[in-house]
Amino acid sequence: MEKQSKLLIIDDSDVIVEMLYQFLKSKNYELFSASNGLDGIKIFNSDIQGFDLVITDIVMPNISGVGVISILKNKRPDLPIIAITGFGEHPESLAAEAHADVVLEKPIDLNILNQHISDLIARKNS
Amino acid sequence: MHTPLIGVSQEILKIKELIDHVADTGLNVVITGETGVGKEVVSRVLYQQSPRNSKPFVKVNCAALPDGLLESELYGYEQGAFTGAEKKKKGKFELAHKGVLFLDEIGDMSLTLQAKLLHVLQSGEFAPLGSEREIKADTWVIAATNHDLAEKIVEKTFRADLYYRLNIIKIYIPPLRERPEDIIELVNHYTNEFITQFSNKNIKKLDTKTIDAFLSYHWPGNVRQLQNTLKRVLLLGNGYEIIEELKNGQTDFPESRTSAIKTSINKANTFNPSYNFDEITDISNFSLKEVRKKALDKIERDAILYILNKTNWNRSKASKILQISYKTLLYKITELNIEQPATSSE
Repeated sequence: MEKQSKLLIIDDSDVIVEMLYQFLKSKNYELFSASNGLDGIKIFNSDIQGFDLVITDIVMPNISGVGVISILKNKRPDLPIIAITGFGEHPESLAAEAHADVVLEKPIDLNILNQHISDLIARKNS
Repeated sequence: MHTPLIGVSQEILKIKELIDHVADTGLNVVITGETGVGKEVVSRVLYQQSPRNSKPFVKVNCAALPDGLLESELYGYEQGAFTGAEKKKKGKFELAHKGVLFLDEIGDMSLTLQAKLLHVLQSGEFAPLGSEREIKADTWVIAATNHDLAEKIVEKTFRADLYYRLNIIKIYIPPLRERPEDIIELVNHYTNEFITQFSNKNIKKLDTKTIDAFLSYHWPGNVRQLQNTLKRVLLLGNGYEIIEELKNGQTDFPESRTSAIKTSINKANTFNPSYNFDEITDISNFSLKEVRKKALDKIERDAILYILNKTNWNRSKASKILQISYKTLLYKITELNIEQPATSSE
């Protein structure tokens, strides 16, 4: 039996975290979540090689999503990261510069999100 | 000299934790908080904990210089680039190569310079004024402001794209009044420091009454103000009174002759240059030119008074320290109304 993929969701909106959590749980992923960048990084540090993918919001207090992406990619260059943004041009381009693999704009289409997750994990594993 | 970040509150502990995680990343940082709350201290702690700590830490106060000067200060210039450019000068970006560039009061930067800064941050290169060559900018930019940048974006006085590029890491330092446990910690730390520093004086720790006064004061000047006030209190021993004066605004508007003497002696014993806009009662002449003149006069006055007191009003000695002619000093003493304070009979 295939091992469950382990995902980390970082978003300062409880509503979004809850929504993603419920949806992705139903798709049989093992899930962890954090409401800010610093906590997200600490959770990631607890199992650097073990996470298969990270989903992070861009605009967050303390460590912005761009910072999170940069820090995580530094720890693990092959880590697939999906960035979520709702604020227009600038954070999007920054997220791309920080090498997010995919940038999605809110409101998120969950099925498209799921497709990206499968694709990225499959690509990483191949 | 390295000032540590002092505090035991949750907020300060969180900031220390954040610093631990980001100091080695070189990601742009914006530090916000009221004046005197410790923004520069945080920037220096970040620097100390980073791999850049053997390279320069360069500070620029973006509010202190008019636009044109700030531009040449940051980027440097070639010889002859403009009138007065007698020889080539390296800009702060170049001096901070491989180190840290601390841009204080970034909220005060003009839109024009913001645009240029954004370009440097995006491209990683800059050109000194009057030069055609571009220099690589490998410096870690840490910015600080006591403005609300988000508000300035709405007011269109700060660029949103620059904001997002700078705000990769955001550190907000809450005002001192919101963390009384840190007031205690700071008092303890600096009391011990001053006791060591002034080991020949009989410095007594604060009594409970004074500590309570320290805890109940709202510290508009935050840590810097607390440091200066504590120093006065420890040296003069009348802590409770000093705090009461602060609360009643009496340090600027003395009501009694005794407190006026104390105030002028206090002022003469410290050099704490600042301009208190609350002193201005007449706003009919509040042009920036006037403000600048008044502020400059006050700073000169405070500086001269401080040095005169240190030299026991030996004007000749004072003029040498201030590096002005004896005649100029006498002129300034008259012009700025500098009076020798009457000695208190205490």
